[in-house]
Amino acid sequence: MNRLLNKSLKPLVIYALIVLLLSIPAYYFIVDRIWANELDKHQYVLRDKIESRLAKLNLPDSTVEQTINIWNEIEPGFVLTPHATDSVIKDSVYSTIRFDEFLQDREQFRSLSTSVKINNKHYRLLIETNMEEADETVMAISLAAIFFFLLLLGGFIFLIKRLSVKIWHPFYVTLDVLKSFKLNSDQQVSFEPTAIQEFNELNDSLSKLLKRNTDSYKQQKEFTENVSHELQTPLAIVQSKLDLLTQHVALTDEQYALVESANTALTRVSRINKNLLLLARIENRQFVAHEQIDLSVLLEEMTDIFAEHLERKQLILEKRIQPAITIEANEVLIEVLINNLLINAIRHNSMEGQIIAELSQHELRVINTGSHPLEKEKLFRRFSTTSTVTPGSGLGLAIIKQICDLYQWQVSYNFTDNQHIFIISF
Amino acid sequence: MKILIIEDETELANSITTYLSGENYVCELAQDFGQAIDKINLYQYDCILLDLMLPGGDGMQILEELKSQNKQDGVIIISAKNSLDDKIKGLQIGADDYLAKPFHLSELSARVFSVIRRKQFTNSNIVQQNEIEINILAKTVLVNDIPVILTKREYALLLYFIGNQNRVISKNALAEHLSGDIADMLDNHDFVYSHIKNLKKKLVDAGCTNYLKSVYGTGYKWEI
Repeated sequence: MNRLLNKSLKPLVIYALIVLLLSIPAYYFIVDRIWANELDKHQYVLRDKIESRLAKLNLPDSTVEQTINIWNEIEPGFVLTPHATDSVIKDSVYSTIRFDEFLQDREQFRSLSTSVKINNKHYRLLIETNMEEADETVMAISLAAIFFFLLLLGGFIFLIKRLSVKIWHPFYVTLDVLKSFKLNSDQQVSFEPTAIQEFNELNDSLSKLLKRNTDSYKQQKEFTENVSHELQTPLAIVQSKLDLLTQHVALTDEQYALVESANTALTRVSRINKNLLLLARIENRQFVAHEQIDLSVLLEEMTDIFAEHLERKQLILEKRIQPAITIEANEVLIEVLINNLLINAIRHNSMEGQIIAELSQHELRVINTGSHPLEKEKLFRRFSTTSTVTPGSGLGLAIIKQICDLYQWQVSYNFTDNQHIFIISF
Repeated sequence: MKILIIEDETELANSITTYLSGENYVCELAQDFGQAIDKINLYQYDCILLDLMLPGGDGMQILEELKSQNKQDGVIIISAKNSLDDKIKGLQIGADDYLAKPFHLSELSARVFSVIRRKQFTNSNIVQQNEIEINILAKTVLVNDIPVILTKREYALLLYFIGNQNRVISKNALAEHLSGDIADMLDNHDFVYSHIKNLKKKLVDAGCTNYLKSVYGTGYKWEI
């Protein structure tokens, strides 16, 4: 991806290149025109001088002829030839390229073919002046253009780096603030005031936007907690009424089964509510107590508690626990974490499957047999994993994630060789 | 035995009263902070069920009042808050147990039973029921004066049944009592069955009458 500053440099450089490329033929044309003009002027002056000086000499015709012959022999670039007729031919000016015997090279000449009158006799005068060739001119101009282009490029880079970095500095400061912003942290976001109006407006709008976000996030968190609290009492009432109903003497088996079904569903609602409350509490950072926890001992104890729940699916639990691994955390949350991991491993296991609880210096792995991989992206989201086959609260993994986030641990999931692998790195 | 229910939700209080009255407890009701303070100042209760969020004041203050008067009433906090801080604070101030809403009435009854037996300093830490004798403090069980060795789970179940005599108890409630959230989340209460089977076998083998009956297919009842 392009950086902002590189973006603004590129069109400038391309424009400069086009302008300089166009300048090459333009310069050539101008230089060529000026030169040709000057030469033409010069050649007309030469003609006039020759004509007037020869006239002044007042030479007899024979001498004139002799002089012209000698002149034609020694003077380069002049050819005087007597006219066949007395009529004056039109002047002509032209450029020509031909092989030059003396220079042994193809050269460009500017020529003037005109008439002069000597002793009342018309002569044709051809003046040729060697001029610079087009390719050499173009070459020289191009070199100059390239030199100036490089000068511009260097200048642009230097100026943009200097000037733009200075202008955009507040923007990058704002960008850094946004990058470090976390919705669930209580930190207030503040932008430094800048000297540029647009950036101040940007910062103002961002501040308002972030405030609205954090406010609604906070409200949502409080809402969850309040709702969960409020639900506990009506749930308790329903539970107590169902309990009383089961004590009724005249209850038939069928009616009892109905009450039990209602009870099971109610248990599920209570569990979801409890877990939502737990999530809200973790989010609201209400588990402040920290202590040194011997994770090895805790994991041993908890796997023992689970032993009686392995039987139905005839699961085998293998422990690979390194001794004396300690962490600094809230014990209740760590128990919840291990609990949820193990419950998960039991719930989503196949018959006669295996569970491996592995604890090393910086990693807790819970591995269990499974038939198909779970969706990685959705896995840790609330209510994303609930299925009708194994109706859980849909919050177990979300709680694991929330606890890991709280302590800035990494939690990851992999599926290899028909095994679900959950890894928590602390 | 007298029980004071401090709870502002009438419906819940009524359910508790109905259930516990059947267990031969006498229940009184206080529905706000003032009533509760009046009652504890005037009377002595075997057990007080205390809701922390009350109209007119904080339930914690009632607990502190009891403590300052040096009253021996057993206290079980029943709270909707289910917050660990409250639990720790309550138990520190002098509550005997903490039960989060929602709960099974059988669970409450079992807790009331235990709290009252634990609190009594006469020899009624011993629960005698026909040929069965349970020492609440030592956690031992005798059948016809012969010790029966029970596991932790079996002992817990026995006490639960004794605390809910002649009541229909669902497997769900028992599973929750034994394993709390774990049973709750595993949706599999088969392990309860094996514990009950073992308990029944140990008692019957020791010469005890089989009081534990299956009802409605999935429920249990301790019939005396």
